[in-house]
Amino acid sequence: MDNLFKKVKLQWGNPLYSVLGIMVVAIGLQGCEKLYDLPEEQEFLSPNINYPSQIFEPIIGRTGELGAPNTDNSTKPLKFEIVNARYGDGRPVTDIFQQQPTYVWTGEYTGIETSLEEIEAKRKIEERPLFEVQESGKFVLWGASTNELITPRPADSSNLVQDRRYFDLKITNVGGERIIRDFQLIPWRELPYEPNNDINRYTGGVAPDPKDPRNPNKRDYIRPSLTNVIGVESNRNLVTNDDQKDVVVYIRPFEGGNGHNLRFSFWAPDSTAIDPAKFNETRWNDLVHGFNRVNTTEYVQYDVAYPIPLTTVATKYTTGGSAKLEFAYSRLGFNNVRTTAYIGLNFKIFREGDWEIIFHFRRELPKFEDE
Amino acid sequence: MKSFTHYLIPYIVAGRALLAAKQTFLTVTLFLVNGLFYQLYAQTIVSGVVYDQKKITIPGVTVIAGNPPKPLASTNGRGEFRISVPDGSTLVFKFMGYIEKRVTLKPGQTTVSVVMEEDQSNLEEVVVRGFVSRSKQLSTGSSVTISGDEVKDVPVANVEQLLQGKVPGLNIQVNTGAPGFRGSTQIRGLSTLTVSGSGNESFLQPTSPLYVIDGVPLDADGASEFGFQQQGPGVSPLSMIPQEDIASIEILKDAQATSLYGSMAAYGVIIITTKRGNSEIPRVRYTNNTFMKAPPALRATLGGNLERQLKIQQILANARGEINLDDLIKTPFLSDSLNAYYNNSTDWQSLYYRTTYNQSHNIAIDGGNPTFNYKANLGYFTEKGVIRNTGFDRYSANLRMEYAPNEKFKFTGQINAQIGKQNKGDGAGLLQTGVSDGGATSTLMPGPSFYQANADYVGSLRTKNNNDVRVIRPVAEVSYSIFPGFRATTFFSYEFKSSNEDTFTPAAANNQFAKVYAFNGRESNLYSRTNLTYAKTFGDDHNIFINAFNEVRKGDRQNSITRQERTPNDQFQGPLGFDGYYSRGGGILTNFLDERAVSFALATSYDYQKKYVVDLSYRLDGSSGNGFDNLYSRNPAIGLRWNFDKEEFLDNWDWLNMGALRLSWGINVIPNGTLERIYGKYDITGNYNGQQGIGLNFDQIPNPNLKPTTTTQYNAGLDFSLFNNKVDVIYDTYYKKVDNLLFEENLSNTVAFGKLISNDAGIVNYGHELSFTIRPLSPSSPFNLMVTVNGAYNRDVLLKLPAHYGGQFIRFETNSGNRETYLQHNVFRVGTPSLSNYLLINEGVYATDDDVPINPATGLRYSVNGVPFRAGDPIIKDLNGDYVLDANDYARTGNASPLFTGGLATNITYKGFGLNINASFTAKRTILNNALADRFNLMKDPFGLKAVIPLDEFNMWRQPGDVAKYPYAYDYSRIEIINPYRYDQTLWAEDGSYLKINNVVLSYMFDKKLVRSWGINNLRVYISMDNVYTFSGYSGPNPENVTTMGRDISEGYPVPRTYNIGCNLEF
Repeated sequence: MDNLFKKVKLQWGNPLYSVLGIMVVAIGLQGCEKLYDLPEEQEFLSPNINYPSQIFEPIIGRTGELGAPNTDNSTKPLKFEIVNARYGDGRPVTDIFQQQPTYVWTGEYTGIETSLEEIEAKRKIEERPLFEVQESGKFVLWGASTNELITPRPADSSNLVQDRRYFDLKITNVGGERIIRDFQLIPWRELPYEPNNDINRYTGGVAPDPKDPRNPNKRDYIRPSLTNVIGVESNRNLVTNDDQKDVVVYIRPFEGGNGHNLRFSFWAPDSTAIDPAKFNETRWNDLVHGFNRVNTTEYVQYDVAYPIPLTTVATKYTTGGSAKLEFAYSRLGFNNVRTTAYIGLNFKIFREGDWEIIFHFRRELPKFEDE
Repeated sequence: MKSFTHYLIPYIVAGRALLAAKQTFLTVTLFLVNGLFYQLYAQTIVSGVVYDQKKITIPGVTVIAGNPPKPLASTNGRGEFRISVPDGSTLVFKFMGYIEKRVTLKPGQTTVSVVMEEDQSNLEEVVVRGFVSRSKQLSTGSSVTISGDEVKDVPVANVEQLLQGKVPGLNIQVNTGAPGFRGSTQIRGLSTLTVSGSGNESFLQPTSPLYVIDGVPLDADGASEFGFQQQGPGVSPLSMIPQEDIASIEILKDAQATSLYGSMAAYGVIIITTKRGNSEIPRVRYTNNTFMKAPPALRATLGGNLERQLKIQQILANARGEINLDDLIKTPFLSDSLNAYYNNSTDWQSLYYRTTYNQSHNIAIDGGNPTFNYKANLGYFTEKGVIRNTGFDRYSANLRMEYAPNEKFKFTGQINAQIGKQNKGDGAGLLQTGVSDGGATSTLMPGPSFYQANADYVGSLRTKNNNDVRVIRPVAEVSYSIFPGFRATTFFSYEFKSSNEDTFTPAAANNQFAKVYAFNGRESNLYSRTNLTYAKTFGDDHNIFINAFNEVRKGDRQNSITRQERTPNDQFQGPLGFDGYYSRGGGILTNFLDERAVSFALATSYDYQKKYVVDLSYRLDGSSGNGFDNLYSRNPAIGLRWNFDKEEFLDNWDWLNMGALRLSWGINVIPNGTLERIYGKYDITGNYNGQQGIGLNFDQIPNPNLKPTTTTQYNAGLDFSLFNNKVDVIYDTYYKKVDNLLFEENLSNTVAFGKLISNDAGIVNYGHELSFTIRPLSPSSPFNLMVTVNGAYNRDVLLKLPAHYGGQFIRFETNSGNRETYLQHNVFRVGTPSLSNYLLINEGVYATDDDVPINPATGLRYSVNGVPFRAGDPIIKDLNGDYVLDANDYARTGNASPLFTGGLATNITYKGFGLNINASFTAKRTILNNALADRFNLMKDPFGLKAVIPLDEFNMWRQPGDVAKYPYAYDYSRIEIINPYRYDQTLWAEDGSYLKINNVVLSYMFDKKLVRSWGINNLRVYISMDNVYTFSGYSGPNPENVTTMGRDISEGYPVPRTYNIGCNLEF
């Protein structure tokens, strides 16, 4: 026993042991940080994260962002995921997630591009789910969606639970996971152009006259703005409003184009074409952002990129987010005063195709002649 | 008869001391007397001289001989002694700080020359615990002692700044150069989350350690309640202590050491002991410092023609249209070549900054022996600020006497009187907004002259600011030992402080109306303490020590201000009161205090053979400021120490001189309650039935459940010294948890009240501290070299927040008023460093337009406020990926608290020469360079009356394709639109690590023999330099001169460099 103790004593003196001892202390100190029982450094995911509205009613056929989360300063980036998509009666929803080719932007559309190719170089076609949630937590319904791909709300204007699409949103970051339940998606059917007061939003058919909605023989029309346009017979300013529609506009597809044409025509009361050249003050080159202009006596045609306008960037062809049309002609009025008449329309077209916009002088022709 | 001799000799020696002038005569007398006894007892007269290793004589060494040993004499001012002892006696020489020396006389030897070695080990050091001195060997707490010699050679107003880098874990940042103010001091990290003020003036509530000066506790955070918007003189209480009078400074770090000081000591304790009378022969010591303060390099500015050319080029190149070009023509100072000042170039900064010459004088007179001693210290210190019209003067007189007629009784009396006079100019002291604005004035503006006045300039330089603080503090202490080991002590002090400030702003500086501000403050502190101590040894091995004391404190403070916004003219400066219409209030300030506090404490210590030590202490603190539910706060502590070098099994470790392991635990409790927080605040508001109504202020809901903040600290330490004390190592690790931290919660707007003061927040600090000292040369070498390196690693982690926050709270800055606000937010997130910034992440500059990302869905570029980013704009990370820069893109980044702090000191002596170099470092800390942001923002208005800075040195985007750090500065209209120099981005966040050479002192001690021939006892001259150089990668001028929130602000007071010549004379 004594001997053993002596041995221990000798060993204590060994410098090797002091080195070992220091190592043990050092390792012990490393371990200490665990002893401290500190809360882990983690990302913050607020329990109050929410959306201002959980019901989305987008219009099919238009690329648009929906909703923006109020993240309550949660640590970004957040991962958003749509889960448990179902109809109100529990049937699963799949149609809105089907992959379809759709345009995505890769460059900035500026409005000063000089050819269609230049514009097309700034976007590409990508396979995307028609409805998806972005990294930012905003939802997107892509423009490739159509009434056929996604069933819109019923034409009878009912809004029954079993027709509504529901889904939940799973939000995660390293700090944890939250699920926001019961978002609703109730899409409107496609409205391929604006203004679209001539379309019934539920059925896609013809919209009734707002002054006489129950009369099946009357309908609503798109109306242009008119300035100084004088009727050739009445010699009075032509007007177009809810009561009197001297000039109306039709926006409609036509056959025989190259797939991305846009035409403008003017019709006399008898639906014959007026020569566009009569609108002699029109700045045809700045009318729309189109190329390869073709002037005929019946129409003026451009090659354009759809949708119109391409983005919300302000260009010389747009105003307030819409494409801006302005046709003008001038004539000598009384006392040899030159007056300029304007016919204008702010419009949008969402579906790619061959479209024509017709200004129909329903009651009388405009007066192009000098007084 | 023999005993008579032994009693007689000390008296004779004492007589010699008192009558130094008649020394020769007395020596003769002594000879006669000694001769007499020699005849009778065959005694030998032995004379000799005591030297230290550097061959310098040591006065005051006690010479002991006989059986039992008795002190016979002490050496005189020349280190000589002369005693009468039996032949062949053994003489023992003792002197504080030196190793005891024994000399056995050879038969017949009558002269002896003794060399005493300095005691290098710090074992015999004495530390103060609970107002009682204890041997450091038995101390279980963590503390560091600094001798007064280390803080004497660099003249400073505030001695605290000289402690920087000397103590691991004591983080001192000299973040202001304002004379008479102090920087920030933290022991072991962050202890608060309370931030007052906003923007650049965000002010972290200071948590300075408790200062105990000669036994009197002192609140060093006084005058800081109002953040940067200070009221009153704001002279730091520490600036009132003359550095020449300091004998030692001890810094207590862990809870075992501090818990006996109670709730005021939660942030650590710094004990300052002033010098005692310590000379048998009265001596006069005079210290003079003559020093120059030089401002740091000022901001580079383009002057005169260069400025005009740059502005014109900027406008021409970046004009958005005709209107901008027209504006150029309408701006005469740029375009009117007939303007008399067309080629003017005023160096505005030089009008505000200056190099100053200052001096300090200190006379110390002391004398006496252990029975009766006295000292007087008279000091004068003056420092003119490097900003004109600022400065600080201090006059001090400290008197002390000690009388101990016998071992039982001791009386100490002390009076400290100080006057601090300060001049803050028109600034608030820490901030010099007027100077900062004025210094940035366009050089094209005519300078101040006989017929031109500039409001900023007049405001800064002609404002009469006169403020002073007067402190008088008498102290008396009586101590009596009733029986051996038991001693009762009563200590009493009364401090009275009067603070006054008068500011007169001339009309030219205040829209043509003079104004007046006056501050009047009175503060008194009555403090009394009664100690009972008992020390007893049982057997030979068991020692106990008990220290029980109670403290009674009464504090009163009342500060009031008067403001008169318009006075008739510059000549009439008072008395005021002619017109109440322009009075802008004032009255009593909210830091009114009427507090009574009582404390009881008991500390016991037990040790076995001085090998194993156990300390237990407990303290109760009661204060009238506490709520009735928490009238007393309880501060317990336990400390353990193992002096393992005394263990037998380590006997053969010859290289180990000392080794000890320490462990401690303790709690400090700080009450949070104030009358306002507990009972609410009542305002005189509205009326009821024609009577004045008094109603509850709905800003803050009363919280009677407010708990006191509790700091729990664990500490483990290891001390050892090796190889004959050539290497000293002190290591400490600690865990400090601050719980029930005060936290202001904003309440929902559906609740009647605005905010709730709760205390559901907590912080943890943990870290390691290491101090390493090496003395590589042998003690006999004429060279003496000592190198000390110390460092501390401290991490703070936010432990918790009020539960409903879910783990994160953001302190958002908001725009308020018309002042430019710095929208730099802070985020408190559980599990992360407490002082993190919440900013936008800057990732450079867009080299070309194509680099700006595009939203694939909308085709729009990443934008801010609807304006897309372009080449030359900052790349600010779009964290949430929505292609819009907004409040969703903030992220937690950076940490304003440094992770590493420490310092190094080198001390070289050779014969009479000495060289000291002190350095300190701070590392891993985020600084927001707001000063640089301000400078870039100067570029946004080329038509304005501000200076421009040269941008050549900056890595700025200039043309498409440039990969740069800073966005394009010249496109002034774009700066307004997209705000590329916004403050809330990490572009300004930089690493604030630095290594600073704090000071260098070169001294020479003249040979004593030489100076004696000049009639001087001692002469030492030295030159020193302070704030010598800072090594740092930081782009701003000084990474230390930033606020505690880590913001480098333009309004800060620059820290000057000091060059000093000084001398110590002793007569």
